[in-house]
Amino acid sequence: MEGVPLIAYLLLGMFMFTTGVVGVIIRRNPIVIFMCIELMLNSVNLTFLAFARYMPMQVQGVTLPQATMGGQMMVIFVMAVAAAEVAVGLGIIMAIFRLRNNIDIDEMNLLKG
Amino acid sequence: MSSYFAAIWYVLGLPVLGFLIQSLFGKAIVRVAGKRVAGLLAVLPIAMAFVIGVVLTMNLAAFAPENRAHVSTLCDWINIASIKIPFELRVDTLSMTMVLIITGIGALIHLYATGYMAEEKDYTRFFTYLNLFIAAMLILVLGNNLPMLFIGWEGVGLCSYLLIGFWYKDVANAKAANKAFIVNRIGDWGLTLGMFLLMVIVAANANRFGAIDGRFLSYDVFLPRLGEVLKTMPTVTTIMALLFFVGACGKSAQFPLYLWLPDAMAGPTPVSALIHAATMVTSGVVLLNRLHVIFELSPVASAVVCVVGAFTALFAALIAFGQTDIKKVLAYSTVSQLGFMFVACGAGAYWVGMFHVTTHAFFKALLFLGSGAVIHAMAHNQDMRNYGKLAKYLPITCWTMFIGFLAISGVAIPGVFGFAGYYSKEAIIGSALANTHANIEGVQLGQYAGWTALGVAALTAMYMTRMTWLTFFGNKERWRDIPVVERGHAHDEEHAAELVHGHVIETAASAPVTIATGDGYKFEGEALALVDDHGHDHGPDVHGFFFTHDEVHEREHADHEHEHHELDGNHIPHEVSPSMWIPLAVLAVLSIFGGWYLAQGDRFLDWLYPGGKLDYLGEVSEHPHGVNLIMLSAIAAFGGIAAGLLVYFRGLPKKEGWDESKWSPARLWARNQFGYDAAMVGAAVDGGADIATAAWKGVDIALVDGAVNGSGWLARTAGWLLHFLQTGYIRFYAIGMLIGAIAFLGWGSYFLFFGGHK
Repeated sequence: MEGVPLIAYLLLGMFMFTTGVVGVIIRRNPIVIFMCIELMLNSVNLTFLAFARYMPMQVQGVTLPQATMGGQMMVIFVMAVAAAEVAVGLGIIMAIFRLRNNIDIDEMNLLKG
Repeated sequence: MSSYFAAIWYVLGLPVLGFLIQSLFGKAIVRVAGKRVAGLLAVLPIAMAFVIGVVLTMNLAAFAPENRAHVSTLCDWINIASIKIPFELRVDTLSMTMVLIITGIGALIHLYATGYMAEEKDYTRFFTYLNLFIAAMLILVLGNNLPMLFIGWEGVGLCSYLLIGFWYKDVANAKAANKAFIVNRIGDWGLTLGMFLLMVIVAANANRFGAIDGRFLSYDVFLPRLGEVLKTMPTVTTIMALLFFVGACGKSAQFPLYLWLPDAMAGPTPVSALIHAATMVTSGVVLLNRLHVIFELSPVASAVVCVVGAFTALFAALIAFGQTDIKKVLAYSTVSQLGFMFVACGAGAYWVGMFHVTTHAFFKALLFLGSGAVIHAMAHNQDMRNYGKLAKYLPITCWTMFIGFLAISGVAIPGVFGFAGYYSKEAIIGSALANTHANIEGVQLGQYAGWTALGVAALTAMYMTRMTWLTFFGNKERWRDIPVVERGHAHDEEHAAELVHGHVIETAASAPVTIATGDGYKFEGEALALVDDHGHDHGPDVHGFFFTHDEVHEREHADHEHEHHELDGNHIPHEVSPSMWIPLAVLAVLSIFGGWYLAQGDRFLDWLYPGGKLDYLGEVSEHPHGVNLIMLSAIAAFGGIAAGLLVYFRGLPKKEGWDESKWSPARLWARNQFGYDAAMVGAAVDGGADIATAAWKGVDIALVDGAVNGSGWLARTAGWLLHFLQTGYIRFYAIGMLIGAIAFLGWGSYFLFFGGHK
């Protein structure tokens, strides 16, 4: 770990997040969109962990929140929420598929004004 | 000492008591003891009030002239911050003069009314209103502050309205009552504004008025020092005076607002005598006397008062020549005489105005009551063209009325003796001719008013001759020409009578406004008329608001009985009962000697204005230089009577007969009030409709509806514009979120990196 600088994690996180965003926007399959969302969430997780790892323990004698494992805690939360979200989302997709035999996201435009 | 004058509360309390008895127990009293007792219970309180008034006046006269003002307070009424308006009465010479007129003439007219209204179904309702009127009028003159005067002012207006519309089943009467009430509102507008202005002036200079107990609006506090405060602000004084004059114009029927008074004759005749001749209509003169300081300090306003008075006197006297209804003649005569009073007040001779109020109350009440006796004797037909030679049948009425005629004409043997009207009228003309007060820019408007008044005095004598001769003398009993109709088919015969005789006998009473099937309201453009299938106009009591169902039927039955009493050729007039001619006799005596008595040695002037000096005008002369007024006014009276005799000695001239197309255009024009009434009412009604239409189209449709519809349109348009954003493509929304998030982050980081510290 010594040899890998912080910026490398951030660049990787940025790449993953951008990939996720572009995927959400351009893909029409909701399963893939979900995967892209996961990608974005995980890029954020990665960033959290990187910052947590590189944060100094103390500054001018004041103990920083790293000691309370703030970053790591947040990552656990994000993973839990993401798991629940995927479960609900996949359930919705299954229901839509049963209803319409089709899960193309562009066909779902009942809210068009 | 002043506690002695607390007895004044009995003068006010007795009519109130009478009002309560009549209103609460009237019906029961009539049922148990009969109308006579109910009538007596109405007359008695007023008569007792008069007796107390006489005693108080005699006690007041025993004081030295400068001590003749006493205030008696009952309770606090309005108490706001530092201003206190107690319920207090003022006993002074002016108020006691009016109290004697109101209760004295009032008691006589009440007595007369017990006979005149004897066949009336709503006997106690009539006396309820009449007693309430007396109470309100007493508050008006006795109140010691302007708000109390205002209570009385509105109270008499209300009673006037109620009594004009007393026979409310006839829509014409209800309309006349409305007209009187509405036109009076214009006057009240002026009065209230004047009161507010006065309040502002008094409150702004409170320290100079030195009211320790906060009674700024009481006469005894503000009147003594009002002059020195107003002296420094002539414009405000003139505005205030003119506003009060507008109020006086409304109540006292002066030119722009006189038009309600002739219509007020729709009420029963005792009402016309009491309210619309002797008392209520003089309250404008009382107001001017009460607040004479303001008018003394404003020559401009005084000139306006003078000119308006003179013009009204002339205008109304000319109209009187065109009237054939005996009460209308007297109504215009009243308007004309009120004009005289204002001429005097404008010229600064305020006491002369009150003098004429007093004498006019004597002879005009006499004339009205006399005309009532004639109408009573002639089966309620009021048209003088149906009268003639009535002196034979109604001797007492005729000769008492003849005295009234001489009094109003101002007949006198110069230097020896004159009837009541002579003294007051001579004083009015004299004070106007000697005038130095009512001038605008050096133009002697008062003098012009005086010469006009002299001419009008002659006209007065002439039209009163016309009335007297058409009614009592002449060479023919004209009602003999009306075809006799058999009883039983009222409607057809009425019609037949019209056709044969060539004129409409009863215009107001027999003309239904609309005929509709079924019972109910029908909107007819300008009038909301209640109509049933007989074509008769009915008031609200058709539906039993005031009476039970049985009573309504009973009353309608009585109505049908009543309709059979119409004037026809077989009619024989009968002299009226003693309850009616006794008041006539008393008033006749007053009309002969009243003026002479009050004029002896300036008795009336010394009573009202001790020493005959006003604070700012000093001594106001009633004797012009270089004019032999005593002769002139006697000549005017005799000349007028002679001219009248020349035309009317033989009775109704052909040119004034039933066929109005043969009338001279001038007389016809006068009959129609020179088109003034029609123009005013037209302007008010059509103008009101125009204003309402403009408000409806401009405000309601354009503004209110526009705002409501406009906000709806705005929401729809905004929604229509925004619906283009609702594409239904999830990626479109996602891009939106992305752009939003980036913008939000960018905005945040901008402050993070460039904002914060410098």
